[in-house]
Amino acid sequence: MSSDFYTSSILPFAAIIIKICRAYTNTQEDFEDYYQEVCLQIWRSKDNFREQSEWATWIYRLSLNVCLTLLKKKKNNYQHFASDYLPTETTEDNRAFADEAINQLYDAIRQLSEIDRGVILLYLEEKSYQEIADIIGTNPNNIGVRIKRIKERLKKILNGKEN
Amino acid sequence: MENSIETIWKEGFLKNDALVAPRLNDLYNQKSKHIVDKFKRKYKINLIAIIVFSFIVVPISFISKMPYLGILMFILFNGVVIVNRKFRKQLKKIDKGLNSYQYISSFDMWVKELISVNTKMSRYLYPYIFLSMIIGFWFGSFGGNIPGEEFVDKLIIDYPNTYLVFDLPLFGILGVILVTSLLAFFGGRIGKWDLNLVYGGILKKLEVLLADMEELRS
Repeated sequence: MSSDFYTSSILPFAAIIIKICRAYTNTQEDFEDYYQEVCLQIWRSKDNFREQSEWATWIYRLSLNVCLTLLKKKKNNYQHFASDYLPTETTEDNRAFADEAINQLYDAIRQLSEIDRGVILLYLEEKSYQEIADIIGTNPNNIGVRIKRIKERLKKILNGKEN
Repeated sequence: MENSIETIWKEGFLKNDALVAPRLNDLYNQKSKHIVDKFKRKYKINLIAIIVFSFIVVPISFISKMPYLGILMFILFNGVVIVNRKFRKQLKKIDKGLNSYQYISSFDMWVKELISVNTKMSRYLYPYIFLSMIIGFWFGSFGGNIPGEEFVDKLIIDYPNTYLVFDLPLFGILGVILVTSLLAFFGGRIGKWDLNLVYGGILKKLEVLLADMEELRS
């Protein structure tokens, strides 16, 4: 990957990648691995980008796919080589942001299912239901109900009514 | 909860500077060091385990009345450790001050040399282990009756037509030659498989990292 491509096409959208990677990782080391892998995948797949969607939307989709794939790989590796990976519960590094409320929100988001994390991140990034459905690959009719359910669960977690 | 999650999200990212992207080169530097450090740790633990095992095997072999086996294994394991200690010294010489690509390339060259030497050694190592077991069984304890000779005596009584060469049964000699040859032939592959079992995960990561860094440089 050239530094020029990174600076011009990835860095302006780094916030998206950071926000997504943080939701799927518990440690700084994992976060950096995921961030790096997303950047590499963007670079490798850049020729597949068709201008049917915006570059930012494409980055959302790709970041989510990469994070879900890495998480799946990590789970498989954990099953095969238990000594190489520690369970996420024991390696929490949940003070990634300066704002305490955001850290708490991320802690709550990490307790959601993998797909729900993606849905709520896209919702918080003010994506339309149609865009969320396109990125996640689901029916837009169900998105509203799903977001409502996720928000209720997040509220419960944040209010300490659920672990 | 005072604020809605939408407000927390908006305000949180407005007022903090945590969304500064990591520098790509820094990520590679950290990853290079992490992989090399992980390898060093495993390599050190592995060598210590071999030394400890070489010392454990001696009393066990005396207790089980096969002291020659224990002594030969002790010599073998310590020989392996001496060769690998030379490699450890070379590893320490790799300059951490180099840029991450040069650092990881030097480490990759070192790993390839390590694998090459250990694979060559394995061609002799596994036949040596097998022959040590045969010798250990054949000569048994120091002094007293020799189990190998007792075995031949019994064999001649049970099978008087057994063909002997230098007082050893021919089928036994051929069997030992066959197994030793097979171990010498496949020793390199067994050695590689063994190395892969211990270091495979790290070596795979190293390969991917190097490929990424080469892409980054191109």
